[in-house]
Amino acid sequence: MGLLRYTGYRLLQAIPVLIGISVITFLLANLGPGDPVSLMLHGQEHDQELIRAIEQRYGLDKPLHERYVTYMSGLFRGDLGQSIHHNRPVADLMLDRIGPTLLLVLSAYAFALVTAIPLGVLAAKRRNEPTDHVSRLVALFGVSTPSFWIGIVLILIFAVTLGWFPSSGLIYPWRPPSTYRSIDGHLELYYESFRHLLLPMIALGTLQMATIMRVERTQMIESLQGEYVKLARAYGVSERTILRKHAFQVAQLPIITIVGLNLSTAIGGAVLIETVFNINGMGRLFINAISQNDYQLVMGITMMLGTLFVVGVIITDISYAYIDPRVTYGETD
Amino acid sequence: MAVGESQLESGTESDEGVEARVGWRYTLARIADDTTARWGLYIVAVVLLVALYAFVDSNLSRLTLGAVSDYTFANAIPIFDHPTRIPDPGEGRANVPPAFHPEGTLEYPLGTDRNGRDYFTRIVYGTQVSVMVGLISTVLGLVGGTIIGAVAGYYGGAIDDVLMRAIETLYSIPPLILVIVFTVFVGGANIWYAVLGVGLAFVPVFARIIRSQVLSVREMDYIEAARAAGVRDRHIILRHVVPNSFAPVLVYATLQIGVTILIVAGLSFLGYGAQPPTPDWGQMLNTSHGYMHSNIWLSIWPGLAIVITIMGFNLFGDGLQDALDPRIDD
Amino acid sequence: MSSEPLLRVENLKTQFFTDAGTVRAVDGISFEVYEGEIVGLVGESGAGKSVASMSLLRLVERPGEIVGGEVTYKGETVFGLEEGPDGELREREEMLSNEAVRERIRGNEIAVIFQDPMESLNPVFTVGGQLREVIELNRGLSKEAARAEAIEMLREVGIPDPEERYEEYPHQFSGGMRQRVLIAMALACEPSLIVADEPTTALDVTVEGQIIDLVDELQAKYDTSFIWVTHDMGVVAEICDRVNVMYLGEIVEQAPVDELFHDTKHPYTRALLNSMPRPDRTVAELEPIEGVMPEAISPPSGCRFHPRCPDAREVCRRVHPEPEEVARADSHPHNAACLKHDAFDVGYDGSAPLEGDPRTTAGGSGGEGGE
Repeated sequence: MGLLRYTGYRLLQAIPVLIGISVITFLLANLGPGDPVSLMLHGQEHDQELIRAIEQRYGLDKPLHERYVTYMSGLFRGDLGQSIHHNRPVADLMLDRIGPTLLLVLSAYAFALVTAIPLGVLAAKRRNEPTDHVSRLVALFGVSTPSFWIGIVLILIFAVTLGWFPSSGLIYPWRPPSTYRSIDGHLELYYESFRHLLLPMIALGTLQMATIMRVERTQMIESLQGEYVKLARAYGVSERTILRKHAFQVAQLPIITIVGLNLSTAIGGAVLIETVFNINGMGRLFINAISQNDYQLVMGITMMLGTLFVVGVIITDISYAYIDPRVTYGETD
Repeated sequence: MAVGESQLESGTESDEGVEARVGWRYTLARIADDTTARWGLYIVAVVLLVALYAFVDSNLSRLTLGAVSDYTFANAIPIFDHPTRIPDPGEGRANVPPAFHPEGTLEYPLGTDRNGRDYFTRIVYGTQVSVMVGLISTVLGLVGGTIIGAVAGYYGGAIDDVLMRAIETLYSIPPLILVIVFTVFVGGANIWYAVLGVGLAFVPVFARIIRSQVLSVREMDYIEAARAAGVRDRHIILRHVVPNSFAPVLVYATLQIGVTILIVAGLSFLGYGAQPPTPDWGQMLNTSHGYMHSNIWLSIWPGLAIVITIMGFNLFGDGLQDALDPRIDD
Repeated sequence: MSSEPLLRVENLKTQFFTDAGTVRAVDGISFEVYEGEIVGLVGESGAGKSVASMSLLRLVERPGEIVGGEVTYKGETVFGLEEGPDGELREREEMLSNEAVRERIRGNEIAVIFQDPMESLNPVFTVGGQLREVIELNRGLSKEAARAEAIEMLREVGIPDPEERYEEYPHQFSGGMRQRVLIAMALACEPSLIVADEPTTALDVTVEGQIIDLVDELQAKYDTSFIWVTHDMGVVAEICDRVNVMYLGEIVEQAPVDELFHDTKHPYTRALLNSMPRPDRTVAELEPIEGVMPEAISPPSGCRFHPRCPDAREVCRRVHPEPEEVARADSHPHNAACLKHDAFDVGYDGSAPLEGDPRTTAGGSGGEGGE
């Protein structure tokens, strides 16, 4: 199978999963005792006519399976429905909020990769030496500490006590500088957006960093014991080249997979970090939708985040297949 | 090597055939030898003891010292979410800093909160909630995952296909999101639903491990023999297949307890887990978040408690993994 | 053959410091390699052959360490210890630095063909790229020249369509083809000596034959010296000029190949030869060597082979023999470390034979109780 066909195959495979996600979210959102209508009415629950009118408007009077079919046919047309609370199309609402979340998640990954890979390599190179012990301890803390608490501690230290960084909000580098009253020119825009991004990025990226570092260390240790490393040594290749090229290249492949699979923790983490840092992304939209019983919006966001994860895994799978020469795009089982 | 699912499982595939060399006594000896595992065990033991203590001593002496704990286990059965006594704000001294602070007092080693409740007592009680939640939802995920994984792996074919697609679907929704939607829409922000939701969210993880284990065990001669002898499938799965694929799952479950506590803490922090006045660490962080400028310590202690607890389970799990994996020798 | 050897190894000792104790993997071996000859290093697995050959390049990995002896290559001291003023052993001044060994010796002077062709090539780089890197490094050629040379060498070792295969990855090559690549790599560095560490063990018999023919042919063409590490006496007979037989870290017999086969002086060598399948013998006539080789962590007293030796006598349990010249052939000595020869004069003839089944008399050392 060629790479192109493999891509097609993986996309096809994703279809039942995406349909499954829609079923699960639909069931969860519609089976529960939470009643959006009564919530909307704010105490006017006794007005039967009003209730019926609202139910009719949102199709809530129809049986469940019919509502699902309506929902799905909407989905295929790219229509995610109407938010009850905001009275706007769900898709529009999400489009407004996806930017900050993507910025947060991607920068967290960048932070994680940039720190974890050198540390993991160093730990493997100095195995069982103090450097190794320290970095393993850091990794242990990273996987054991809730991201939102890291965020809180960072705020307490760097925003509240030291006042170096702002404690809430983001500045979006893609907007024109004139959007922000206090910002003058693009340079300051980028500087400010970085200043705002730094703390949430570290808070969200720490868990990823720790996970990647652990894998990197194990992979490098294994790779450094490979026969090909012995061969390189026997032919006078320097330890530096062996570490940076021969052993390193082999060790990076599993990292790709880890990055893809961790996407779900990163997305979940984004919800928490957006709450801690008051960032208006998908996560807060989701939390607000939940508390407002805005089930259409909740379904839309859940679908969206699930799709994001599926797509992320497909992308990593394909890049793995592209990068690792040994992969023979085979059937998966 | 084919990509796709096989990669998702790569972490567990290598653990096959562990039983061949490892008996329980050998494993225990290796755990005792392993510094990591030993420290993990110490921490877990302390955490469990604290949780147990909070369970037994419902009349902690400091309850009578002026500071009010709103929550005691004994009168809160069935367990969670029973507000017992809404504290009178004037009853204790509010916002007392920790003992090491010049204005602090040894009476309240970790200080008191806005309602004048002793924070140390609340942290101790919080242990109970976290440990129970972590253990119960992990067991739920383990049981659910074992059933699905064993059935899928043992029967194969269409059953396997359908179950694994379902598992993959469940796996594709980020756990925290799934748990929130489940808890709020199905249960209405109640910690028991949170526990159930977390268990559900981790079914896929266990199902995958069990399935790959079962796939490797299924072909063994003694399973063939049992089948040939006419032993019923259910019996084969329960008596032969599952027990023989349990070692790596156990390791994973230990590590998963930490992840579970992490998720539930996040859930409570967002306000969808344990409800006030239940002293849950995540929920305490939620409460203190609003006024973290005025009393920094209230945001520090619950977090530290979470970190120490999870670290204990992670250390123990790591040690267990080393002990069960004969390939790793230090 | 010139009088000064290309490589001289004297009393080389390599030990592994493990938790269970010190493993004396190589315990004082001496041998020479002259220009243009193929020298065999033969023995069962665990005899220390591979460790010995890696020690020549100072490629012993922790917890192993070369603890004594001298390795001289073309007059340069690759390894050498001397006694310092304080009585401690220290590295000799003229001993090459790590850098010098890496840059001047490894690859371009002494190249290695590894045992496992499946694992020795890096899976994520192209075969050609790996070959080119080694050539660039050891011959100081430019990228383009190294590439041309790599393709030429691939052709030389009999890989069809070398231009296309240059771009392929190791997993696209069969085991035999990969071993050819490894041979190409060794030869491409134009070394004076190649250490072949059981290069055919992982291959099936027909491929093994092809590889041996290839090496034979290329050796004649390039006039490279070889140290051929193997456990297979058949291979030794086919290509080696002189042979060193190793047992438990020691060389027990050393002779030109014909001499070794026709006038065997050590019982262990004889046992090895008798256990070798030959066309003129049926399987039933094969005589496996009795017992298991003991662990190098606690070698038997006296002659290390005595617990398994059919000729062992009481004296063999007490006296440890160093190799002595017991005959001469083609201006080369025929050395053997067996007390039964007159050169030893320790009263072997008057000593009582050891009783019973050799396996049960394994004095002092458990064959299996090591761990």
